[in-house]
Amino acid sequence: MGKWKTKLQDGTINIPGLIVKVVLIWFIFSFLVFPNVNLIIRVFFQDGHFSLEAVENIMKSQRAINSLKNSFILAVASIITVNISGILIVLFTEYFDIKGSKLLSMGFMTTLIYSGVVLVTGYKFVYGETGIITKVLMQFFPDMNPQWFVGFGAVLFIMTFSGTSNHMMFLTNAIRGLDYHTIEAAKNMGASQRTILFKIVLPTMMPTIFAITILTFIAALSTMSGPLIVGGPDFQTINPMIRTFANMTTSRDIAALLAIILGLATALLLFVMQKIEKKGNYISVSKTKAKMVKQKIQNPVLNVIAHIVAYVMFIIYMLPIINVLVFSFTDGMTIRTGVIRPDSFTLENYAKLFQSSSAYRPYLVSIVYSLLAALIVAVICIAVARIVTKLKRKWDKWFEPFILIPWMLPSTMIALGLMMTYDEARLNLANKILVATPVILLVAYVIIKIPFSYRMTRAAFISLDGNMEEAAQVMGAKPFYTMRKVILPVIMPVVISVIVLNFNSLLSEYDLSVFLYHPLFQPLGIVIKMATDETATTEAQAMAFVYTVVLMIISTIALWLGRYGGIETVKKLFRKRGKVS
Amino acid sequence: MVKFENVEIKYGNFVAMNNLNLDIKEGEFFTFLGPSGCGKTTSLRALVGFIKPSKGRVLVAGKDITNLPVESRNIGMVFQSYALFPTMTVYENIAFGMKVKKMSKSEISRKVHEVADKIKITEEQLQKNVSELSGGQQQRVALARAIVLEPKILCLDEPLSNLDAKLRIDMRLELKRLQKDLGITTLYVTHDQEEALTLSDRIAVFNNGYIEQVGTPYEIYNSSKSEFVCDFIGDINRFGTGILTFINEQMGTKLDTAKTGFVRIEKCVDTSKPDHAKIHGIVTDLEFNGILTKYTISCMGQKVKYLEKNDGYKYYKEGDSIDLYIDPRDIMQF
Repeated sequence: MGKWKTKLQDGTINIPGLIVKVVLIWFIFSFLVFPNVNLIIRVFFQDGHFSLEAVENIMKSQRAINSLKNSFILAVASIITVNISGILIVLFTEYFDIKGSKLLSMGFMTTLIYSGVVLVTGYKFVYGETGIITKVLMQFFPDMNPQWFVGFGAVLFIMTFSGTSNHMMFLTNAIRGLDYHTIEAAKNMGASQRTILFKIVLPTMMPTIFAITILTFIAALSTMSGPLIVGGPDFQTINPMIRTFANMTTSRDIAALLAIILGLATALLLFVMQKIEKKGNYISVSKTKAKMVKQKIQNPVLNVIAHIVAYVMFIIYMLPIINVLVFSFTDGMTIRTGVIRPDSFTLENYAKLFQSSSAYRPYLVSIVYSLLAALIVAVICIAVARIVTKLKRKWDKWFEPFILIPWMLPSTMIALGLMMTYDEARLNLANKILVATPVILLVAYVIIKIPFSYRMTRAAFISLDGNMEEAAQVMGAKPFYTMRKVILPVIMPVVISVIVLNFNSLLSEYDLSVFLYHPLFQPLGIVIKMATDETATTEAQAMAFVYTVVLMIISTIALWLGRYGGIETVKKLFRKRGKVS
Repeated sequence: MVKFENVEIKYGNFVAMNNLNLDIKEGEFFTFLGPSGCGKTTSLRALVGFIKPSKGRVLVAGKDITNLPVESRNIGMVFQSYALFPTMTVYENIAFGMKVKKMSKSEISRKVHEVADKIKITEEQLQKNVSELSGGQQQRVALARAIVLEPKILCLDEPLSNLDAKLRIDMRLELKRLQKDLGITTLYVTHDQEEALTLSDRIAVFNNGYIEQVGTPYEIYNSSKSEFVCDFIGDINRFGTGILTFINEQMGTKLDTAKTGFVRIEKCVDTSKPDHAKIHGIVTDLEFNGILTKYTISCMGQKVKYLEKNDGYKYYKEGDSIDLYIDPRDIMQF
C-alpha cells in the first residue's frame, strides 16, 4: 500500500493519465479492432465452421471478378496519369517561371476544396450529356454519342485531374525545400536545364513522389464516386460493387470479402511504401540552404508549349467549378437543357437554401458531423501522440500500431465492419445497438480520419523541443498544466490544420455515409449524389449546384483560416483595430 | 548544499554514471566538465529530477530529494536550446513560473521588471515574441526565466554553446557577475575547458561515467591527477623515453622513463633558467594566430610544441635551430 502511495506522490502513477489510457484502449478495441476481426470471422466462419463459401461466391460472380480487375487497371493507369498531371502542375507553379503562376496555382488548388462525389458531379455536368464540352463537340461532330463521357476513359480523366491534391500539398513543399545551391552548382558545372530537372531536381523529389504514388494507387483502388457516377454499366470497380452487394443480405459476405481483399491490397502497398522509403538515401546534406529561384525555360518553343499546357490544364481544373457556379444561378429549365438564355439567371436557388429547412438541413447535418468528428479525432490523436512520443511504460508504444489500423482499411471495410458488428447489443457498448442511430456515422468519420491526423500530430510532437516541457516542469508546472499552456499552443497550428483538412473532406463525404447514414440525418454527400441520378428532379439538381458552391466557399474559408495564415491575419486585423480605438 | 551520494544512473543496461560522489558548497560556481557522452548532463538532470538514479541519493541542504517530483525541487535550469516557449512573449516566458505559483499580477509584473532590469532586457523586448530576439537576447530571457523564481540552485546546461565566439565571452563575464551578485549556488555543464577554467570556483572533470578529478581551476590545470584530465584541459607535450632519459642524465632527476611525461606547452621556454633541462631542436612547423605563434620543434626524433608571444622580439622560421628549457618539476607522470 505504502509503495502505491509513494508512486502516486512522485508522479510514477498519475490518475488522469491512467483514465485517458483506459478510454483509449476501450476505443481501440471497440472501434478499430473488434468490428474488423468480427467481419473476417463472419466471412470465413459460418455456423461455427471455417468456410470458403464467400470465396467461391466471388469466383462465381462475373461482376465481382470484373470489378476487381477494373479496380486494378484503374489504379495502375491512374498512377501514371495522376503523376504526370501532378508533377506538371507543381513544376508550372513552383519550378518554372510561368506567367500568371499565382492564378494557375489557385486553379490547381481547387481539388483541396472539393472532392469525391461533389467533384465528380461537377465534371459530369461539364462533360455529360448536357454539358458545355459535349455541346461544343457536337457542333463539330454532330453524329457523336452525347453520352460519350462514360466508362474507363471518363473515370480515368477525372482521376487524372482530381487526384493531384497530394502533389499540390506535399510536392510543392518538397520543391520549396530544395537547396537552390545544388541547382547553381549543376549550372556551374555546365549542366543544361534538362539535365538539372531530370538529374538533380526530380531525383531529389523521388521519396515524395513515391509516397504520393502509393497514396494515388490506394485512392484509385478504392474510389467510389468516379465509377458510380460516370463508370456506366461496363466499368464498375470494387467499392461501388461492395455497396451493391452489401445492400442485399444474401450477398453481404461477398461484399465483406471484397472489402477484405481491398484491405489486404492496401496493407501490402503501404508495407512496400515503407520499405522503399527506408531504402533510399535522399536526406539533404546541405548545411546552408538557398531559397529556390524560378527557372525561366530558355528554349522559346518549349516555353510557349509549357505555357499552353499549363493554361489548358488550368481550364480543365476550373471548368467544373465555373460551370457549377454559373448554373447555381440559373433556373430549372436552363439546368435541364444546358442552354443559357438571357432570362436564365435567378437567385431563387440560393433563396431557397435560406428559406426552406429541408434545403439547409443537409448542411447542418454535415457541418455538425464533420466538426464533431474533426474535433474528436484531434483529441484522440493528441492523446496517443503524446503517450507514444513520451513513453513512460514499455507497452505504451503499442498504441501506435493499433491507432494506425484504419490506415490499412478501405472505408467500405470499416463501414461493413461496423454494420455487421453493432447490429446487435454488445457488452462493450453497454448493450446499445449502434446500427440505425446517427452515432454510427460519427464513429465511422472519426475512424477514417485517425491515421492521417495521427501521423501529422505525431510529427508535430516529435519536432517539439523536449526541453520545453522540462523547462515548464522545473518552473513548477504540473504535466496537465504544461500540456495546456506550453505544448498545445506550440502544436496548435498543426492541429488546426489537421482539423480543417478533416472537416473539409468530411463535409461532402460519400463513401462511408452511403452505408451508414441515418435517413433523418442525410449528409450533403448523399444529397448531392442523389441529384446526379437520372431520376432526380431539376429542383434537386439546382440545389446540388448551390450546395456545391456554398461547400466550396466554406472549405476555402476553413482552409485559409487553418492552413494559409487566415487566423493570424484576422488576429492582426483585430489588434490594429484595438490600437486605433 | 548539493550532495551526490553513491549515485548510479542506468539507461537500460548501460551505466551512464557510476558511483558519483560530490559535495557542492553553498554559493559555489561548480562546473561539470567533460567530453560529450561522459555523464555530465546526466548527472545534472538527476539533480533537477528528470532522471531517477538507479542507486544512491541526491541531497539538497541535507534533505533527500531523490524521489521528489521535479516541480517541487525549486531548482532553476537553463537549457542548451533555451527551451523558450515560442507561443509566448518574452514577458510571458519570464512570468510563466510565477503564474504557475498563482502569484498576483502586480507581484509578477514587479518581479519580471526587476529581473529584466538586472539581466538587461529592455521594456520593448519584454513585449516581443521570443522568435524576434537574437541568440544572445534569447539566452538572457532563458536566464531571467530561471532566476526570477529565486531558486536555491541554478543549473546551466551548456548555455553558451549556441552563441558566436565574441558573444560567448561577453555572456561568460556577465554570468559570472550575476552569479556573484545573487550568490546563488550554480551548477554549470560544459565541454569547453576555457569556459570552465574562467568561470568556476571548482570543477569536476567527467570521463566515461566517472569523475576523474575535482578541484579548483588552478589545481586541475597545474596538478592534473590523470592523463585524461591533463590531456583534456589545455595543450600538452608528451615526452617519451628518449627525452626523459636525456633529462634524467642532465639533471640527475628520477623521472620514470617507462611512462610518458606530460608538460604544459607554455612551460617550455627558449631562455636559459636555473634548474631547467636544455633540449636542442629544429623548427619544423609553425601556426601563427595573432597573439601567439605555436611552433612544432623536432627534438630527439619527437615533436615538441612551444609557444611564443608575438611581441616582435623573436620570430623563428622553419628549419631554424632552437634550444628549449624545461623544469623537470613541471613534468607530470601518472
